Amino acid sequence: MPARLRRFDGWRRLCAALLVYLGALALFSVVVALKGGNPFSVWSTMVRSTVLAGPTLQETLLRAVPIALAALAVAVPARAGLVNVGGEGQLIVGAVAATGAGVAIGASVPGPVSWLVMAVAGAGAGAAWAGLAGLLRTALGANEAVTTLLLNFVANDIMLYLIYQLWKDPKGSGQPESRPLVHAAQLPRLWGSQLNIAVLVTVAVAAAMWWLLRHTGWGFALRVVGGNPEAARRSGLPVRRLLLSSMLVGGALAGLGGMLNFAGLELRLRPDITLSFGYIAFLASWLGRHQPVKVVGAALLFSAIALSGNGLQLTDGLDGSIVDVLLALIVAAPLVLTKRRRGAFL
Amino acid sequence: MNGVQQALIGGIEGGTAILLPALGELVGQRAGVVNLGTEGCMLAGALAAFAVAAVTGDTWLGVGAGLLAGAACGLFHAWLVVRRRADQLASGLVVWFAALGITSVFGTGYIGRTATPLATLSVPWLSHLPAVGPILFRHDALVYAGYVLVGAVWFVLFRTRVGLVLRAVGERPAVVAAAGGHPQLVQMTAVIVGAGIAGVGGAQLSVGYVGNWFNDMTNGYGFVAVAVVLFACWRPAGVLAGSYLFGVALAAASVLQAHGVAVNQYLLDALPYAITLVALVVVARRGGAKAPEALTAALTNGAA
Repeated sequence: MPARLRRFDGWRRLCAALLVYLGALALFSVVVALKGGNPFSVWSTMVRSTVLAGPTLQETLLRAVPIALAALAVAVPARAGLVNVGGEGQLIVGAVAATGAGVAIGASVPGPVSWLVMAVAGAGAGAAWAGLAGLLRTALGANEAVTTLLLNFVANDIMLYLIYQLWKDPKGSGQPESRPLVHAAQLPRLWGSQLNIAVLVTVAVAAAMWWLLRHTGWGFALRVVGGNPEAARRSGLPVRRLLLSSMLVGGALAGLGGMLNFAGLELRLRPDITLSFGYIAFLASWLGRHQPVKVVGAALLFSAIALSGNGLQLTDGLDGSIVDVLLALIVAAPLVLTKRRRGAFL
Repeated sequence: MNGVQQALIGGIEGGTAILLPALGELVGQRAGVVNLGTEGCMLAGALAAFAVAAVTGDTWLGVGAGLLAGAACGLFHAWLVVRRRADQLASGLVVWFAALGITSVFGTGYIGRTATPLATLSVPWLSHLPAVGPILFRHDALVYAGYVLVGAVWFVLFRTRVGLVLRAVGERPAVVAAAGGHPQLVQMTAVIVGAGIAGVGGAQLSVGYVGNWFNDMTNGYGFVAVAVVLFACWRPAGVLAGSYLFGVALAAASVLQAHGVAVNQYLLDALPYAITLVALVVVARRGGAKAPEALTAALTNGAA
């Protein structure tokens, strides 16, 4: 194709992408209008209630931590062609393990020790939960998309059992929740703000994943397996071990996300501690085309959207769940465009 | 009535809310399309059915609305997947999220309201059979629709030309196209019909089994339905067995509780999902080879 035509084609694609994304936003406005909200002012509410004020911007960043890590937990196995829909369950078991460890030792050891123990417990639990699905896939051929999904529900019920029975706070207000994490074991705040060290950990982990996937033999091997497993097998790559390792790493990331969310922000285990972040993360990883840097960007965007539900509820009197529709529409946009182009936000 | 009987009765009733969407999902998967949005189709069907039944007072009108709502979600998924060639699993979750948001926003007004539930119809003569009569033949009409639909889906898939073409599309769409067929049309139709049946499954939940509406009331049943189809190795009889297995596990949990078994409610709640998982894993080894070929490509990305 001559260069001039190709450029024209690029413009056409860009216009198509813009139209589709604007269409998605317009559709959301229609839903808002149907529900009696103002289809124009919702956008300013959403922006104001998530990024324009200091405290809410900090909360957006903090909420992005579990979303970003659970999204990376989708992205890493996706490189090897595996579909991990279990971010929700892996976040939960990570938070559960961190609660168990933190509440048990938090009062008796110095802070850094309990942070480390909680992180290891959370990441280990997440890795085990995802690794179970990985093992069922590599050893028995059970479809990992379905097993990870089912494991989410099992994890949630186990957590509820612990909260309502075994770990119920005897001094609590009657609310079903665990005992709080003692102050010494809570993650340290940054510069006197609401932000805590979890934000930095997330950035570091995302950078590490970028490097691992891009510049190491392991990352390359994962891409080969994801691209053409038969070729990978014939060239002597340990396909099963690679698949399993991608699930273990992914699960560990999500488990760590659950731990950071607990030890930095929530401080108690309670029902709905994950707020569907695991599923939102799956969509974020898709929006970011499973590339670490873009995935984190998508996680930030989705964290803001998820949080904006509160603002819409308070200011516009809309049901906060309405933002789920916007999340779905935003991810639907690149799916609509897939036939033409496979790119990040286009 | 003893506990076992109670569990079986409840299992048939609750299992129907899995059976219907799983049969719909079977039709779609045989045509080579997996729909994780089944969960969303059920939610949409459950709310539409409940809302229409509550407003008009006509429960069957509600079931029809559930069918249409499910089919509408299916149309969205089918368009993304078949026409735009989007990833099937991602598209399914998008459909689910959209339905989750829309139903919780538009369903708030129906929480706590009542609708006339589907009437229990005892089948003459059969319902008086010893043991099996009360278990199988004293239910609402959608439960019987489930019985009939298992046979109907089997007949259409394996004994008619339409079914042959549909299964061929699920294996090798290109061959069907070369033979003058329209694989995309077949897939679209299969997904939309399947999603419509899933919508009726949601209706069975809201106006049949549970009898009211609350947010996220499907609680993962749509995902279980997808799992059941894999467990069933894409056979209607297997779908029947898997669905009722889940239903019985679900009912057993509440029966055990009612009989004062001192096991935590939430651990019992996990049981049906765990059983589905184990059942799926047990059959996974021999099942994989029976998967429709076009579906395998969509589900596994070809990795080992």
